[in-house]
Amino acid sequence: MIELTINGVARKIDATPDMPLLWALRDVLGYTGTKFGCGMSLCGACTVHLNGTPIRACVTPVSSVQGMKVTTIEGIAANHPVKEAWKKLNVPQCGYCQSGQIMSAVALLAQKHHPTESEIDQAMAGNLCRCGTYPRIKSAILEAAQKGSK
Amino acid sequence: MNHIEGKTRRAFLQESGFWLGSALVVSYGGQLIEKAALAADAATFAPSLFIAIAPDGKVTLVCHRSEMGQGIRTSMAMLLADELEVDLRSITLVQADGDERYGDQNTDGSHSVSMNWTRLREAGAAAREMLVAAAAKKWAVAPESCHAQAGHVYRNASKKSLTYGELVAAAAELKVPAHPKIKADAQLRLIGTGQPSVDLEPMLAGKSVFGIDVVVDEMVYASLERAPTVGGKIKSLDSAAALASPGVLKVVRLKGIRKYTNNAVAVVAGNTWSALQGRRALKVEWENEAVSGSTELRAALEKSLESPGKNFRKDGDFEAQLQGAARVVEARYHAPFLVHATMEPLACVARVLGDDCEIWAPTQDPQGTLKDVAKLLGFKENKIKLHVTMLGGGFGRKSQPDFVLEAVALAKELGRAVKITWTREDEIRHGFYHPESTQRMTATLDKQGKVTGWRHRSAFTTIARLFDAGATEPAGFEMGMGCTNFPYHVPHVLCEGSSAPTDVRVAWLRSVCNIFHAFSVNSFLDELAHETGRDAVQLRLDMLEPYGIPEWDKKSTPPLDTGRLANVLKLAASQSGWGRKLASGTGLGIACHYSFKSYVAVALEVKMKGSKLQVTRADCVIDSGRIVNADSVKAQMEGSMIFGLSAALYGEITLKGGMVEQSNFHDYSLMRMPEAPKIRVQLVKSDAPPTGVGEPGVPSVAPALCAAIFQATGKRIRDLPVARHLS
Ligand code: FES
Ligand code: FES
Repeated sequence: MIELTINGVARKIDATPDMPLLWALRDVLGYTGTKFGCGMSLCGACTVHLNGTPIRACVTPVSSVQGMKVTTIEGIAANHPVKEAWKKLNVPQCGYCQSGQIMSAVALLAQKHHPTESEIDQAMAGNLCRCGTYPRIKSAILEAAQKGSK
Repeated sequence: MNHIEGKTRRAFLQESGFWLGSALVVSYGGQLIEKAALAADAATFAPSLFIAIAPDGKVTLVCHRSEMGQGIRTSMAMLLADELEVDLRSITLVQADGDERYGDQNTDGSHSVSMNWTRLREAGAAAREMLVAAAAKKWAVAPESCHAQAGHVYRNASKKSLTYGELVAAAAELKVPAHPKIKADAQLRLIGTGQPSVDLEPMLAGKSVFGIDVVVDEMVYASLERAPTVGGKIKSLDSAAALASPGVLKVVRLKGIRKYTNNAVAVVAGNTWSALQGRRALKVEWENEAVSGSTELRAALEKSLESPGKNFRKDGDFEAQLQGAARVVEARYHAPFLVHATMEPLACVARVLGDDCEIWAPTQDPQGTLKDVAKLLGFKENKIKLHVTMLGGGFGRKSQPDFVLEAVALAKELGRAVKITWTREDEIRHGFYHPESTQRMTATLDKQGKVTGWRHRSAFTTIARLFDAGATEPAGFEMGMGCTNFPYHVPHVLCEGSSAPTDVRVAWLRSVCNIFHAFSVNSFLDELAHETGRDAVQLRLDMLEPYGIPEWDKKSTPPLDTGRLANVLKLAASQSGWGRKLASGTGLGIACHYSFKSYVAVALEVKMKGSKLQVTRADCVIDSGRIVNADSVKAQMEGSMIFGLSAALYGEITLKGGMVEQSNFHDYSLMRMPEAPKIRVQLVKSDAPPTGVGEPGVPSVAPALCAAIFQATGKRIRDLPVARHLS
């Protein structure tokens, strides 16, 4: 039994220790907002926060997060500046990659309140979007940075 | 079928009473609600298949096209809501379920809007007219003295109003008008504006339900080890270790259906991870029949270009021109297989109990899929319930029923609900690929450098094999995507096509054959401009004149108009600053293409740093006739630039011994944010009928990119992908 905190709630997971956090979240606990895209840390669809740091849940064994704090897309408030900016710019197309994009963006802005465009590029390079929403994601991050500072 | 002429809603409900009850209900909150409280009971006003208004005023609209990021749920809802006069943000949108009464639901070919523009607007207008008539009757005034607005009917002369909810009972007694009057353009409130997606809230909350997210009672999880080649058979299977792997419940052999699926071994477990681990523990040896690889295929395609192939268009006498031409220019172009790489890999949940089957799938083609499932199970289609979920990208891949058929076959075997989740490796190795192609372009020029003859020989692995396994020649529809509908005025045109067999499945991928035809036609025009010392834009404009409908397309609806193509080209040229002096190592390339009845021009600017390429800017102009949602057209163009760049820069699937060599994003690269250019999209205002948006942005990208690289480096890339030439 692995114990951890998810979005502020203490949870127990009954899973084999090698099960990636991604599948534990999705199949065992029902947090399906975190997505599977590659399973090899190549696409960022599975991005969640571990004690505030963005990680790829698809390559993180659930046993390694024992006792830690996990935040998923479901744990980011609807009025978070990042989600507000996403809404304002109508960022998503199919939406599938967007949980991961938002988690990376939230982590970036928590660390750097006013990232430059190239810092955004760097922070977001691990998140693929097949629909091609990159320009809007970048604008939305800049927008959120501006709003967040007010 | 549009609406139900001359029937009261009671009669209508008797025939169609189950329609909402059987739909997969994705509420505005985005959660799956099975058979929600929305069933069209007797008190609900449901004047058509698309609209239901409850006595409490709650409006439910139906979207019968699959949402895969193109924003169709929003566009369809806008068409209905504008005419119905309801607030787009207050409606509930449910997804239709493959019921044939919705008409064609196959979401491909970029024609959702053109096919439904009038139909949905009339459905909305009919309901509005009935509500207005009901109110007029209550007030004993003429309907002309009332008007509908935002869910109310107002009496013009007074301040009196009634809500739609208050009117549903009376409206339901009226006949559905046979010829409802759609709004005049000036009265439109939604159509033509930019609206955010109706699914934004659940999407941002992580609550939208994609196929891969579906969970149903008593469901187990499976992963399939498929034969690596089409037709491959199991030589030996040892599943002992797999069965001993924690959480594994069963190992099942699944027989393939050659057209769609490979023979496979399914590992069934209590969760996805256990299924994947069990699969890794399988010891299976395959006997493969397909042996050809990319080298053989390419040689066969190239060879077929030496002879004429099948004639698809002949204007004048090209051969005679060839004899007497002042100059002949020739070039060959090659483009590889591509795979869809939808961010959501394929996934499907199915349950087969007795003679009932229920399916939850991110499918682009619910009706086609239903037919194939019915055939597989030997069931009547009405014993199969198919719920269309949100699609995490489609691009044509999810038009294929293979992933559903596998789930259904396994569910039947298991006698319980099962979800099959594809890995990325599965998705890349078991695709329905975009055809590989080779093009041979030949032009004859007169003394002034004017193009007098144009021969386009196109060779590719034909998609016609989807319908006819023995097809050895391209189909007319494939050649019509950018080859035979060559829009430029040249007196002698010859279009010839040939195919070469391949051992993988080929099918639709966003913009289909337009990808390689636009690449070869535009690249060759760029070469001709260079060869004759002319400007690449001016050369095209000259060849498009006289503007108008070419003789050969007079019968199409709507026909090609070379003036509209010239217009987008001019706009893209001016937006990109065409003709300006560029710094060294910088290049600006342009291309334009007509596809899915829309006109697109793209200008790309690139900067070389040594051998490193950065695409710095993309200017894109589209004329797609009337627009429903301006913001989603813009988004589709942005997405098309990135999609087209991924393909042009990196896209390449290669085969060895009938097997695909790539497997995941490390060897099938997609564009990432740092590489993405600044994109500026311009939408042409037009009164022409609405035409395609999802696909036509893609084809111009590769040729514009290669033209830009040529300008920056002097290097002509005729063989995609670009990345192979830069290192
Ligand atoms: S699924 Fe984890 S990075 Fe792709
Ligand atoms: S929005 Fe579809 S993959 Fe990003």
